[in-house]
Amino acid sequence: MFRVVVRAISSLLVSAFMGSIVVFLLLRMLKGDVATVILGQTATREALDALRDEMGLDAPLVQQYWNWISGVFRGDMGTSYAAEFDIAHEIWVRVPLTFTLAFASLILSALVALLVGTFSAIHAKDWRGTWVDILSQIGIAVPSFWLGLLMVTLFAVRLGWLPAGGYVPLTENFIDGVKSLTMPVMALAIPLSAVLVRYVRSGMLEVLDEDFIRTAQAKGLTLRRAAWRHGIRNASIPLVTVTILQLGSLLAGAVVIENVFTLPGLGRMLVVAVGGREALSVQSLTLVLMLMILTLNFLMDIAYGLLDPRIRDSGGSVPIA
Amino acid sequence: MADTDDFEFLEIATSGSRRRVPPQLVIGAVIVSVIVGIGMVSVFWTPYDLNTVDVPNQFLRPGSDGYLLGTDKLGRDMTSQIMAGARNSLLVSMISTVASLIPGVLIGLLAAGASPFWQRFISRLTDIGIALPGILVALVLATSLGPGNPTAIIAIMFWFIPTVARVTMGPARQILSRDFVEAAQAYGRPRRFILFRHVLPNIGPLIIVQASVMFALAILIEAALSYLGIGAQRPTPSWGRLLKEAQPLIDKAPYLMIIPGISIMVAVIGFNLLGDGLRTYLDPQQTAKGTG
Repeated sequence: MFRVVVRAISSLLVSAFMGSIVVFLLLRMLKGDVATVILGQTATREALDALRDEMGLDAPLVQQYWNWISGVFRGDMGTSYAAEFDIAHEIWVRVPLTFTLAFASLILSALVALLVGTFSAIHAKDWRGTWVDILSQIGIAVPSFWLGLLMVTLFAVRLGWLPAGGYVPLTENFIDGVKSLTMPVMALAIPLSAVLVRYVRSGMLEVLDEDFIRTAQAKGLTLRRAAWRHGIRNASIPLVTVTILQLGSLLAGAVVIENVFTLPGLGRMLVVAVGGREALSVQSLTLVLMLMILTLNFLMDIAYGLLDPRIRDSGGSVPIA
Repeated sequence: MADTDDFEFLEIATSGSRRRVPPQLVIGAVIVSVIVGIGMVSVFWTPYDLNTVDVPNQFLRPGSDGYLLGTDKLGRDMTSQIMAGARNSLLVSMISTVASLIPGVLIGLLAAGASPFWQRFISRLTDIGIALPGILVALVLATSLGPGNPTAIIAIMFWFIPTVARVTMGPARQILSRDFVEAAQAYGRPRRFILFRHVLPNIGPLIIVQASVMFALAILIEAALSYLGIGAQRPTPSWGRLLKEAQPLIDKAPYLMIIPGISIMVAVIGFNLLGDGLRTYLDPQQTAKGTG
């Protein structure tokens, strides 16, 4: 187990470092023009120079990178140029919402996928399995933000059961908080569980062929009970692998969904910052979102080790072929 | 693609006894053909001009006289906009998919034939690429390059190239360990020849399936980017942008939001079914599982 943790941590650090370089370089694809972008084409030369100086844009790239990344560690990401707020503070306040949104969707879709996937594997040969197949095919194809809009139309505009947008912190009013997160979480979880169901199903079909399921049946369990009792844990392992691959899409989905429901999270801040072409905010926000993906990845790696003793002992996650 | 590649690919596809064409393949192919057809027609003809404002005819319901899918808040014809949206969606997805396949497959192949050090290095790089979602990259790029289709395409490629490299590398390594590769080596064939003449044709079917799945993903990403306002801008037609414009009107005219959404969904289902069907058709061993 110790080796798994060390390996996961080192991979987290290396990925975070390389990822930060990618983000940094992407934002500098227009060399030195960040100042023009912020101030507009009509800005005077003096104003541009002053801004470049302030943001350290004239320094060599390595120096600029160092200034940024060391600032991140000190919790100093600079101030937003247009709105004049402290970027680090603004991000810090918004992290819990985005994390809650992503994490709740992740757990919900994994649970749904396990239940529905196992169900469809047991009934693979009759109409119930076929129905799950068709539904998952549709679920994969539904854009999460459109699903969100559909739910707003039905549950907020027509029925008035849930708020159409906005957010009440869970710590402030738990019931209202849950209400404001219900539709966003559903909109994210439904397409994700549709993706995951198919992996659970195929994993479960393999597990159902295994000797230990036959043994369980020989001991008097029905196939269904054997699947629920012994199969689920085994089928969870491929689920974890696939979920790791979906983390990026999940966070990207959260960014979009926050904009559908005007939730004051990182995604909303990011899109507003992009609209205002606030390079400094975008740079740090993207880094934080990437760190969230990597952190979730790290947690999944550990979960992987806990689920499967074979991996725990051999050290390191199994490469995805 | 060279003639020999086509030949070898066909041989794989038809080897063994005559195979049943899976229903997903047929349904997928039909949906994709219809959408491609609509997109192509829209280049030459749409029922109405895309951007002609006709305020007296605003908010006509779908099925109104002469307006199959109704009109938007300025009286612009929805049928025409949906048709032209198909064109934009397909164009962005096709460019980004094809442009990702070529470098992705190259990197994957070369990495598979490289030393273990390089293999690990490339794997690590692709991991990071995959962990950086396309939408995130697009948002960053939109800050430096501005919004538009090119930004969307570059961002999607940024995400797809590592995915393709990853998907190519594993199977390519498996093929490299086969006997006939050893035979070719013994015969004195150079490494590059083996990679492109022996390995590539054998993983061809896999890459075609992957391309189909990526195409579907690209449609979803393009829609999301346009919805966020960093993809296609007016007057470029786009399904995602129609959704963005429909959102403030959902209580007044919900059909403006429902129609583009269904279009996106149907297109994605079409390409996914095509990919699934091809997978089953090209690899009979997978038939029973039918997932991936």
